[in-house]
Amino acid sequence: MLIGVLWLYALRWKLPPSFDGRGQRSLEDWLNLEVEHAAFGFYGGLINDVVLPNLTLFSWLVFLLELLVGLSLLFGLLTRLGAGLGLLLALNLGVGLLEVPGEWPWSYAMLAMWHGLFLVTAAGRVWGLDALLRSRSLPVRLQLLT
Amino acid sequence: MTSIDSRNERGASIGLALLRITLGVIVLVTWKENLDKDLYTGDGLAGLINWLFDAENGNGSSLSGYKSFLDSVVVPNAGLVAAFQLVVELGIGIGLLVGFFTRFFSLAGAVFFLNLLLGYFGGSEWIWTYVLLLMAALAVFLGYGGRRFGIDQWLSDTRGESPFGLLW
Repeated sequence: MLIGVLWLYALRWKLPPSFDGRGQRSLEDWLNLEVEHAAFGFYGGLINDVVLPNLTLFSWLVFLLELLVGLSLLFGLLTRLGAGLGLLLALNLGVGLLEVPGEWPWSYAMLAMWHGLFLVTAAGRVWGLDALLRSRSLPVRLQLLT
Repeated sequence: MTSIDSRNERGASIGLALLRITLGVIVLVTWKENLDKDLYTGDGLAGLINWLFDAENGNGSSLSGYKSFLDSVVVPNAGLVAAFQLVVELGIGIGLLVGFFTRFFSLAGAVFFLNLLLGYFGGSEWIWTYVLLLMAALAVFLGYGGRRFGIDQWLSDTRGESPFGLLW
């Protein structure tokens, strides 16, 4: 639940439609830092050549993904899906911010670990809507996401 | 218990062990960095506390009540507290890494991370780092995280439960 709150809280500086940071560093500022201090050349190149030229599209994508992960973890709904996406987001943050000054990469390692733990424990089945979902007859594919 | 339940339980205990080991590595790496920065000396610790609550050139932490506690209790005894931290943080790191007396060291870690959370709260640092660390230490404590891939597994097998359940 707390990590769901973490993702939702992080949305406040990347809200649509402007994604302007609202007085803090914006998503664009962070992406530029990732290019400037890229730990891996291919990743910096990817951000520079693909993400930044399509910033609005990727800003929406990041916003929607983080919203989905936040709500999924907060309410324990399709938690394995939320945890899997959150794990990818945490790894992406860790790789992108590895060499950015002032960033502590272990934060993202810990964030990734937590999502991995939610994934293997199916954490939404306790105090979560997944418990309700599983009490009904669900298609097997949907059950795998809870 | 169904096979799915037992598979989930096994996955949970392995996940918890990985969380414990990661936490141990984080504490040990940070311990070494702090040692290199002379933070385990009286002057180093007092300097860190000043930096934490310095709004212009430091972190700008905002919990004034906690600052008063640090100023009145920790700073006058900074040398002693720093030496204590040097030993305890090393113990927490090693204990978590190898799963030895995990209940004790994870609880000590939780207190240590809570101290960091309060110290950094309201400043420029990403405060969720300390929330994640505190939650991890509490999860390892509550989940008996040393009983998979840890020395505590052997201790619990050979000696049963620890006194008050506070060691392994």
